[in-house]
Amino acid sequence: MDGQDQIYDYQSPSEMTYEPLTELSNWASSTCHLLPVVFFIPEYRAMSDEEHHFDSKADAGASKTYPQQAGTIRKNGYIVIKARPCKVVEVSTSKTGKHGHAKCHFVGIDIFSGKKLEDIVPSSHNCDVPHVNRTDYQLIDISEDGFVSLLTENGNTKDDLRLPTDENLLGQIKDGFAEGKDLVVTVMSAMGEEQICALKDIGPKN
Amino acid sequence: MQGFSDGGADLAQLQSTMHTIELACSSIQMHINPAAAEATLLSLSQSPQPYKICKYILENSQLANARFQAASAIRDAAMREWGSLPPEDKRSLISFCLCFVMQRASSPEGYVQAKVSSVAAQLMKRGWLDFAAAEKEAFFYQVNQAIIGIHGVDVQFIGINFLESLVSEFSPSTSTAMGLPREFHEQCRTLLELDYLKTFYSWVRDAALGVTNRIIESDAEIPEVKVCTATLRLMLQILSWDFRNDSSGMKTGINVFSAGVRPDSESKRSECILVQPGPAWRDVLISSGHIGWLLGLYGALRQKFSRDGYWIDCPIAVSARKLIVQFCTLTGTIFPSDDGQMQEHHLLQLLSGILAWMDPPDAVSQAIENGKSESEMLDGCRALLAMASVTTPILFDQLLKSIRPFGTLTLLSTLMCEVVKVLMINFTEDEPWSWVARDILLDTWTALLVPMDSTGGIPLLPPEGKHAAANLFALIVESELKVASATAAYDDDDASYLQASISAMDERLSSYALIARAAADITIPLLTGFFAERFAQLNQGRGISDPTETLEELYSLLLICGHVLADEGEGETPLVPNAIQTHFTVTEAEMHPVVALSSSIIRFAEQSLDPEMRASIFSPRLMEAVVWFLGRWSHTYLMSPEETKDINYNFSHNYEHQHQSLLSRKALLSFFGEHNQGKAVLDIMVRISVTTLMSYPGENDLQGLTCHQLLHSLVRRKNICLHLVSLDSWRNLANAFSNEKSLFLLNSANQRSLAQTLVLSASGIRNSEASNQYIRGLMGPMATYLVDLSNKNDLKSIAQQPDIILSVSCLFERLRGAASAAEPRTQRAIYEIGISVMDPVLLLIEVYKHESAVVYLLLKFVVNWVDGQISYLEAQETVIVIDFCMRLLQLYSSQNIGKISVSLSSSLLSEAKTEQYKDLRALLQLLSSLCSKDLVDFSSDSIDAQGTNISQVVYLGLHIVNPLISLELLKYPKLCHDYFSLLSHMLEVYPETLAQLNGEAFGHVLGTLDFGLHHQDPEVVNMCLGALKALSAYHYREMAAGKQGLGSHAAGNGNLQEGILSRFLRSLLQLLLFEDYSPDLVGAAADALLPLILCEQGLYQRLGNELIERQVNPTLKSRLMNALQSLTTANHVSYTLDRVNYKRFRKNLNNFLIEVRGFLRTM
Repeated sequence: MDGQDQIYDYQSPSEMTYEPLTELSNWASSTCHLLPVVFFIPEYRAMSDEEHHFDSKADAGASKTYPQQAGTIRKNGYIVIKARPCKVVEVSTSKTGKHGHAKCHFVGIDIFSGKKLEDIVPSSHNCDVPHVNRTDYQLIDISEDGFVSLLTENGNTKDDLRLPTDENLLGQIKDGFAEGKDLVVTVMSAMGEEQICALKDIGPKN
Repeated sequence: MQGFSDGGADLAQLQSTMHTIELACSSIQMHINPAAAEATLLSLSQSPQPYKICKYILENSQLANARFQAASAIRDAAMREWGSLPPEDKRSLISFCLCFVMQRASSPEGYVQAKVSSVAAQLMKRGWLDFAAAEKEAFFYQVNQAIIGIHGVDVQFIGINFLESLVSEFSPSTSTAMGLPREFHEQCRTLLELDYLKTFYSWVRDAALGVTNRIIESDAEIPEVKVCTATLRLMLQILSWDFRNDSSGMKTGINVFSAGVRPDSESKRSECILVQPGPAWRDVLISSGHIGWLLGLYGALRQKFSRDGYWIDCPIAVSARKLIVQFCTLTGTIFPSDDGQMQEHHLLQLLSGILAWMDPPDAVSQAIENGKSESEMLDGCRALLAMASVTTPILFDQLLKSIRPFGTLTLLSTLMCEVVKVLMINFTEDEPWSWVARDILLDTWTALLVPMDSTGGIPLLPPEGKHAAANLFALIVESELKVASATAAYDDDDASYLQASISAMDERLSSYALIARAAADITIPLLTGFFAERFAQLNQGRGISDPTETLEELYSLLLICGHVLADEGEGETPLVPNAIQTHFTVTEAEMHPVVALSSSIIRFAEQSLDPEMRASIFSPRLMEAVVWFLGRWSHTYLMSPEETKDINYNFSHNYEHQHQSLLSRKALLSFFGEHNQGKAVLDIMVRISVTTLMSYPGENDLQGLTCHQLLHSLVRRKNICLHLVSLDSWRNLANAFSNEKSLFLLNSANQRSLAQTLVLSASGIRNSEASNQYIRGLMGPMATYLVDLSNKNDLKSIAQQPDIILSVSCLFERLRGAASAAEPRTQRAIYEIGISVMDPVLLLIEVYKHESAVVYLLLKFVVNWVDGQISYLEAQETVIVIDFCMRLLQLYSSQNIGKISVSLSSSLLSEAKTEQYKDLRALLQLLSSLCSKDLVDFSSDSIDAQGTNISQVVYLGLHIVNPLISLELLKYPKLCHDYFSLLSHMLEVYPETLAQLNGEAFGHVLGTLDFGLHHQDPEVVNMCLGALKALSAYHYREMAAGKQGLGSHAAGNGNLQEGILSRFLRSLLQLLLFEDYSPDLVGAAADALLPLILCEQGLYQRLGNELIERQVNPTLKSRLMNALQSLTTANHVSYTLDRVNYKRFRKNLNNFLIEVRGFLRTM
């Protein structure tokens, strides 16, 4: 089904530059009273998942993932499978034995690498849902060494984002830029990674 | 390559052509350059008059395949040229084929013989209406001579074979296409039935009689067996004929449309097709001892089964059995009106012949388990099914009594018991014979027990039969329970298999229910007993032993009880099944067996409210069965609307019993009525529902069942709603829904359904003000939350958090559910809620522009809300709503236009495309709902008062949406369909608004119309043609009235670009003459073509002349010229656009296309 998807090594973790998004730093105070949903941190969670749950390390104020009951995660939502942020493309339920409890079978596509991942979780247990953020920037320049220069909302530039290495995607961005169109790129970030996920041509309108 | 025309061909030429064909045939077989070989063969069948060469090949070729191809070439060519062949040639072709097969009767290549014989049959049918009776007689004389057997066994076989192909050609369901209207086939069918069918039957019967003795007397297999098998097969085929000329005699005219349906007062629901040949067949089939001969033949064969050449499944035995079963379905006017005596005699004769196949049941089933073939026993079951389909239960039971001490029902019951016993042992095997036998026998019970007519009269069984049914049902339940406990540990992961087995199981359970109801007074207490027993087992074993097996048994029992007690509503409110209404004479409600069973199940279900019991006993699967049972049961019994009504029975006889059962019925219904236990039971149901929603986290199936089946069915009836809203438990549910977050954990479909249910229950509140207040209380907090959220300064950043996304999605799912439940009474409150979230919706669409799942939800909410509200809105409100919709469209469009998703994953990309498609479809639905304001409007003032023009609004909307709809996206059939139905509606109703659009918008609309014209879905093309008709007719009328019409759009820009009507005229003519389309579209195309021609007469003249100029062949040229001429002049077609004129032009176009399309397309 997903034969053409390639394993795409976007950035090795050491190169990752994760900037805490300042707007989000006060998320806790602003949302906790706003949404008194009580989420339990399930005991079954594997140790490897623990680290990107509530990020207790001092630097980041925003959490990378949120717990959410498996039964409420639907197709087209997000989920963390094997420590990767994924978009859910298929959910099916089954039971553990006839009179057991329901479990959900998720098929997800890694939103960065396009790799297919699967997981089975009892449907009353919690899963991690990644906090996927998307920000629009205007594309200012494409540098020779494969980095893009982007204009942020407050007038600064962001120069640390690498162009995709895949020829096709690269072509789409480069061609549009070369034609002199005004391009807005949407940068998707989740769990400390970012990547360009969409382009929009706003040329003639403005 | 030139065709193989053989005018004046000499021997050498014939030789060489034959060689070419043989070469092609063998190269196809060896797969060397098959395309070229196929082309060679095709050119043979397409060349004009290839008969001589074909005959030559048939007679001389050594290659069987080449002979086969030659035969099929004769068929193709003759079908094509039939109209122009001289009568002499037609006859000679048929007799050539017949002689060919007769002369080579012993040829080993059977398939060539069969092909040539079927070619003869097809040609015969093609000429059936042309040939004189004497000509047909001449052919049939030849055939009859063969069948009598004077030319030997082989020729005899060939003769029968020919009749077989002939009969199958004449039967519409098996006939070959000939490019002729259906009426022709119907005519042939009727004529054959009238003139020849019975004659054929007697010929083969005589042939069979002639060989019977030799077969019976000989010890080994002899050639006559082949003939006899063929005769049996042909008899079966003739008896399977769909007889029409029964009793009513020959109708004078043939009505093609009525041919399909035959009002059958007697036919019951069963798999059996009944044979009703009418009184004319009585002498052949009944009075001539034919049945006796057949049974005798089979009896003799049975004796031979142990010997060489004969066995239980040898062809002759199989054919004979099939024919015997077919005779069991004989019914109708073939039997005289003698009180059914002759039919009874006939069935009895058959039954006594068949009995040995399955009696005694235990011995037969034992033998099959030991390796005997089961087919004879299965055929016996089929014969019983056939008999059950043509008799009443009483008569059915009587049949056996004259030869055995018990009735047929008892035999049926014992037989099925044996089968069920075998099933109990072998349930793990795949498709064992006992499955097949069980299904046939269940069908037999169904045929006997299913209510016979629409009034619901149920067939009563004689007492002995009732006992038989009760015994059988007890065994069935036992076996189902055994299977359940044995499979309890199985993990059924294979969902698709599960689905199939559920629907099969459902059907089986309905048949079981019929058997149980036939003896309801015994079987219902039996079920109560079973239930109590399992429940006690559970209680005893709690905490000690693994309950899984008992749980599964209870699960099965609940399903069986549900089916026995109540029918499925299928959207209606099902009544208490008649069998249950009439079977009981208990007048005290507490003693009523149905009350006892229902109460014990409800008490059992109530236990699930106790957390401890729930944890130890009520597994999600068991709860599913409980909820399913309660849903089904409550439909029929809970506060039944029948309670207060009295049904008038026919008190003709047995008054005492009738009266008793009437009282008993009343007691049953009032027990669960509004003034008795009804309210308490309702309360239990609501509390159980709350439990499944809150205490079974993540069990989506269970919760879905609760929301969609149980709760939905409760709020559907107003008298239940009345009580529902007064219950504390219901108020608690509503309260939890609007104020607590625990119900956020339901999945989206269930959220929506629950909101809908809660809103619908408002119909139980006495006045309108209170119901609106209730809705505000229910949904208000959610709207407030959304407004608060959207007013937050940091909305943009927090909105992306998964928890916020979850709650926003939940709330909009609920709002959507509530919006779709709007009723006139609650419309006000829902309108206000919608208005209050308008701004949040726009803000959230902006914020979530990258979160397509949320955007889709928001759009769907708006669609449902507008759809529910639009027709009630006052002019001022309409303006607000329309304005909101336009802002929404603008916003959506500005976010998505020119957007390209970049992803490595092809499946994510295709997901993105699918999401886009779903969004657009929602937007089109929104526009369609707005459109409907012009058609359905309940408001007090007209919207025109406010200066709103709906059509302009919708065109504007289309203009916004249009650029997003790429041709790529129109490949989604549903989107395509929605788009074109909206477009054609707009063009048909508001062509004048289209004319006012600017060039770009206009161009886009018409661009898609052109695309739609060439679409492969005929319905889309049809809609486009409708739109085109409306458009050009509008222009023509306006021009005639001296107005602008489509103005500059129609005129085109000088010489550079021609007007749009000219373009459409060109492309429509091109389509009609040269492209492929469904013939159903010709009418619609004519309707579009006529106004186009009238608008663009000059161009039409030019195009016609071009067509004529292009034609080189002078005959065809003049034919085309005449056809074009009569297209616009025949039938008095005039220059007006009224119904009559359209109708005439449709006829003209049809004739025109028949006349010219053939040569235009092939030249």
